Amino acid sequence: MTQSIIKPTKKDHTIAKLAAIAIVLSVIEFFLPSPIPGIKPGIANIIILYTLVRFDFSTAAWVSLVRVFVSSIIVGSFLSPTFFLSLFGAIVSLVLLYAVQKLPKPYFSIVSLSLIASFGHIVGQFIIARLWIIPHDSIFNLLPLFLISALIFGLFSAFVCNILLKHKLKKHTF
Amino acid sequence: MSPYNGLNKIMKKILQYIKIIKLGDTFVIVTFMGLIFWSVSQSWNMPSGQYLKIENNQEDSKVFSLNQTVNKQVIGFLGSSEISIAEGKVRFVKSPCTKKYCIHHGWINKINQTIVCLPNQITISIVGDSESYDTVNY
Repeated sequence: MTQSIIKPTKKDHTIAKLAAIAIVLSVIEFFLPSPIPGIKPGIANIIILYTLVRFDFSTAAWVSLVRVFVSSIIVGSFLSPTFFLSLFGAIVSLVLLYAVQKLPKPYFSIVSLSLIASFGHIVGQFIIARLWIIPHDSIFNLLPLFLISALIFGLFSAFVCNILLKHKLKKHTF
Repeated sequence: MSPYNGLNKIMKKILQYIKIIKLGDTFVIVTFMGLIFWSVSQSWNMPSGQYLKIENNQEDSKVFSLNQTVNKQVIGFLGSSEISIAEGKVRFVKSPCTKKYCIHHGWINKINQTIVCLPNQITISIVGDSESYDTVNY
């Protein structure tokens, strides 16, 4: 057997494991029916939040971007408008998370991080939708609906992530 | 165990979750709610438009003033549609299309609102002062 030239570090393994979970969650979410097209709970973002808190920002960014690319290839939306919406949502949300990750811990919990990230998702998607997919101002009429769903699901994923973080972890897990 | 106890347990769990919300978090949540209220009020208080733009399959788009009460015939792909302008608002009155979605859409009066009749290939939309227009026609 030839030896692999690439030596994956411990961090690579962590990213791969966490991204795998995130990908499975987003593929499951793809098949969930939604009453309004475009409104999704974003359950994969629970993993991104978890990674940000337990590890560091760069790991979370890797997991988030790997998730966007691989899950779009699996569901067959790679390079389609849906893919770009999700990519730019993820990028804007990561930029905002980078800006607020150093907020003082005694005053800001994971709830703030989750809400800011979900807000970033909505903003990134609306920018792309306005510039490229529907170049018309009337799409901003949809903004209230999407912001309300971002608030609800942002709180939801913060609480779920909080449960995950509470669990005592064994060695060799993440 | 009575069902009341089960409910109590769930309530206790929910209270536990709410406890993780800290002072800064309430600030973020309130800001978020403020954003929601702002966006709702923005979409409800859209400025009323001054001009009506009509596009069909045959000629360049035309712009009319909305400050009049008149019915207009617009020639489309299937035939002639009738639209009615009434002091700042506009709607389809008659259309040769089969499903009449354009008529059922009702009145529009805000900037960027649009009614499209796909079978007859007619689009009417409201434009504001800021939008550039070719001609104004009474």
